[in-house]
Amino acid sequence: MRLRAFELTKDFGHRSIVKNATFSVNSGEVVTIFGPNGAGKTTLIKILATLLKPTSGELEIEGADAIADYSDVRSALGVVIHEMLAYPAFSPYENLRFFGQMYGVEQLEHRVTTLLAEVGLQRFAHEPLHIFSRGMTQRVMIARALLHHPSVLLFDEPFSGLDAAAKQFVIERIEQEQQDGKGIVITTHNTELGYLVGTRFFFMISGELEEIARKGEVTAETLLQMYEDRLTL
Amino acid sequence: MKALHQIGALIRKDLGLQFRSKETLVLIFVFSVLVVLIFAFAFGPVFPERVERGKLTASVLWAAFVFAGIITLNRSFIVERAQGALHGIRLTGVDASNLYLSKVVSNVVFLFLLEIVITPIALQFLDLLDVVTVGILLKLFGVLGIGTLGFCAVGVLLAGMSTSTSGGESLLSVILLPLVIPIIMGGAKCTVSLLVTGGLDNGFWLNLLIGYSFVFLASAYLLSGAVIEE
Repeated sequence: MRLRAFELTKDFGHRSIVKNATFSVNSGEVVTIFGPNGAGKTTLIKILATLLKPTSGELEIEGADAIADYSDVRSALGVVIHEMLAYPAFSPYENLRFFGQMYGVEQLEHRVTTLLAEVGLQRFAHEPLHIFSRGMTQRVMIARALLHHPSVLLFDEPFSGLDAAAKQFVIERIEQEQQDGKGIVITTHNTELGYLVGTRFFFMISGELEEIARKGEVTAETLLQMYEDRLTL
Repeated sequence: MKALHQIGALIRKDLGLQFRSKETLVLIFVFSVLVVLIFAFAFGPVFPERVERGKLTASVLWAAFVFAGIITLNRSFIVERAQGALHGIRLTGVDASNLYLSKVVSNVVFLFLLEIVITPIALQFLDLLDVVTVGILLKLFGVLGIGTLGFCAVGVLLAGMSTSTSGGESLLSVILLPLVIPIIMGGAKCTVSLLVTGGLDNGFWLNLLIGYSFVFLASAYLLSGAVIEE
């Protein structure tokens, strides 16, 4: 099991943003969490990424307690969230090189060059990130997340703000990582793309996480209909 | 060994960012020169007594460096928080205390370079350059260096906290200045002594400066994990 969350709760003051979230992710699984804005998806991803401490609950990543020993499990995580998690003044090459040094990636030059080629950014390898479009930035963020060969990938709204080509790139990359045996969690409000890449589907509405189905059990249309029904409740 | 590589990479990254944008560099240089000029014009152009000149120069130098230091500390963390780069660093699993140490070193280096440039300018404008020998100047840089270390030791910790809040830039001045008063007092007194007599007459102020700087460094190092992770 790549990741196990048990009754994760996050309160801000008197308000619960995430309520008793329980689920697990196995090798080669893509868990897609659908939810509207403000449902608590980003908070949940930040908890899973060990960037935010839950108020209560348990989190295990690769069998280790990710709440008590967060430093030890972080190298198993590849994270793409709304923020760049990088330096806009640096180029993709400089960012990847810096983060690679921090992770202690072996044969770093080769790894950085290969990754930049894989995400199609060789031509822009030495341009500063602040001039990049959203789609190009997303490619850099994915490269940064994959740099150290993590076994668990966390994507928060990976399709938002991307054009068709960039979306296709993200989809293909997720499929490739799934085939490599990684455990992947994606949050999105895009049911069509979320269905396409996911193998297990959850709804998250008002902080409550609910498992809906596995891929073979529902069609995209049924899932969309169920999602819209939940939102109108 | 991995920790040393990480600290090295963090320091190189910090200095690279500072020298690439040059925003902070230009800002603190212009600010410090302005402070020197304002004091020089307000009290000059004739300073009859070396004692008065020494006291004035010490005040000018420490005022300029403390406020330039606040600007530098704020900027060094704003860069980290702007696009979540600090989260990116945390995700690498780096120990928070190593991150803290690297920030202290890079800020000390950056501010010390400013001090090396501004000190001779201040001595020239306040009519002391001709009486200060190379030996005194080196001792003066030693005092400034220790003071800068103590200032950054506590400043990095507080900047890490304050920049995560709204209005953090102004908050840093409010919470930092009371804490570094012993460093400013010790540093300013040592500077006066060096500029007036050429030596450090009273060991008390130097001991205070060194003692506080290292106590701050050690306690801030121990607290850095809680500040950066929370």
